[in-house]
Amino acid sequence: MSMTEKLQEYVKDTMTLDDILPTKLPVYVNSVAYLFGVLLLSTLVMLVLSGLILAIFGPRWYHVNATGRFFHSVHFWSGQLFFLFLVLHLAVKYFMGAFRDGRWKTWMIGVVTLGASIFTAFTGYLAAANWSAQWHAVEAKDAMNAMGVGAFFFPTNYTQVLTLHVALFPALVVLLVVVHVLLIRHEGPVHPYPAKEEKTK
Amino acid sequence: MSRRQDEYMRGTPMKPYDLIREGVLALAAVAVVVVVLAIIFGSPFAPTVRGEDVAKNHPLDFLKSATDFLSGDSGLQAYGPPYTKDTDNLMKVWGFAPATVLGVTMPIDAQKDLIIAPLNRVALLNKDVAAALTAWKAASDDKQKAWTKAYSDALDKAEEDSGGIKVAAGDYGPVPVMMYGMLALAQAGLLEGALTNSEQLPYFLENTKAMLFFVESTDTDVAGTLDMQGQQWGITHEVGNLPGPWWLWPYAIWYQLPKLKDDSNADAIVGTIMVVFFLLLLFAPFIPVLKHLPKWIPIYRIIWRDWYEQKESRGR
Repeated sequence: MSMTEKLQEYVKDTMTLDDILPTKLPVYVNSVAYLFGVLLLSTLVMLVLSGLILAIFGPRWYHVNATGRFFHSVHFWSGQLFFLFLVLHLAVKYFMGAFRDGRWKTWMIGVVTLGASIFTAFTGYLAAANWSAQWHAVEAKDAMNAMGVGAFFFPTNYTQVLTLHVALFPALVVLLVVVHVLLIRHEGPVHPYPAKEEKTK
Repeated sequence: MSRRQDEYMRGTPMKPYDLIREGVLALAAVAVVVVVLAIIFGSPFAPTVRGEDVAKNHPLDFLKSATDFLSGDSGLQAYGPPYTKDTDNLMKVWGFAPATVLGVTMPIDAQKDLIIAPLNRVALLNKDVAAALTAWKAASDDKQKAWTKAYSDALDKAEEDSGGIKVAAGDYGPVPVMMYGMLALAQAGLLEGALTNSEQLPYFLENTKAMLFFVESTDTDVAGTLDMQGQQWGITHEVGNLPGPWWLWPYAIWYQLPKLKDDSNADAIVGTIMVVFFLLLLFAPFIPVLKHLPKWIPIYRIIWRDWYEQKESRGR
């Protein structure tokens, strides 16, 4: 078998166009619980788009200009909804036992994404250049320093905080989300728990 | 469908689905909600606490902070890593202090960096401050301590009124001239600039020294009035009526417990608890009780109720 044929076989085994862009789903995918993931993705899109606009025009614009303040507010509320849907998504996926049938990788990447998202939001608060940023920086430094992280991460260093918020962590979150979604499409929705097992308990 | 999914879904009834339509509708719905919230509620913005504001509005507090840095009595001077070598205030978990691993990575000598260095700049513009600095540097350590202690005690009893600050007469040496030099520097709006001294200027945005100046005084007072101190759910609060980072409740809640509230190792203990929680969540698919819990709590019966009803009706 040639290398190309091997690759073809691998793709047929693991991920086809039907998996990436499905046109049919199992009938048990029929609940609001399945919507939190796509809503979460939508808020991430809003965060990235509004963040790009803020980055292009800069703090003089988004702190002073009315249009800039509006996009700052869009970014703020996108973040609030992002975490609302993230918490709901995490909770329903846990109670669905969505990590069953070999889906532990998807679960673990999701949890790492949660951690990366929290840190992205934290650096966002620190980068806001207002009273909350100032207070969060001096208050959070104690927690960072107590854990030894403060030796290399300085919440009071604006350059470090801003770079982490607009470059490194968003890129990491987007990358993790892409892998997470590809794994979901590769594995398909987990089966419901067997009904009989529930009755026999 | 890939062979893997084909095998997994074999025997499962399927229904039509339009992924792109769902994605577009979800994005549109979220965009509308976000825009409406942004228009109605806006976003939080409260100005920073600047040296100029403190020096003009609370000059006595400013003088007390500056005198503490000069005398060596500030909390910053006994903080420990990453700023100082002190070990008395190190936070420990099971006897281990994580801060000691990398040690002092941002050395700050508060007396020198926060007071003497800025005053050296003021001295270039003010002969009285220059003379006071010379007298200070020529004095013995004991004499310096006696002056700062006497002045600090006098400031504790001092009164602030519209006419200025009334401090009782005493032997304070050059300290009052030095402290009023700092006050004038801050009132002129130059404190933060004087504290941000680097060979990388003007490309230097490391504001640590300026931000640490008011941590133990005005910053803490302002945070208290806004319910933003640690024991007030601190970091999860935002100014005004807007939501803060409420997703940090599982972190902030530990600081509200009476036993942890006043524990000198609270930050290290809570940090360790959060690391453990994160690991439990991460490895939930492999941890015996955690991986079976969803099966024992029948929330899944609600989520998949249509499926179970269909199965039951087919079974009848």
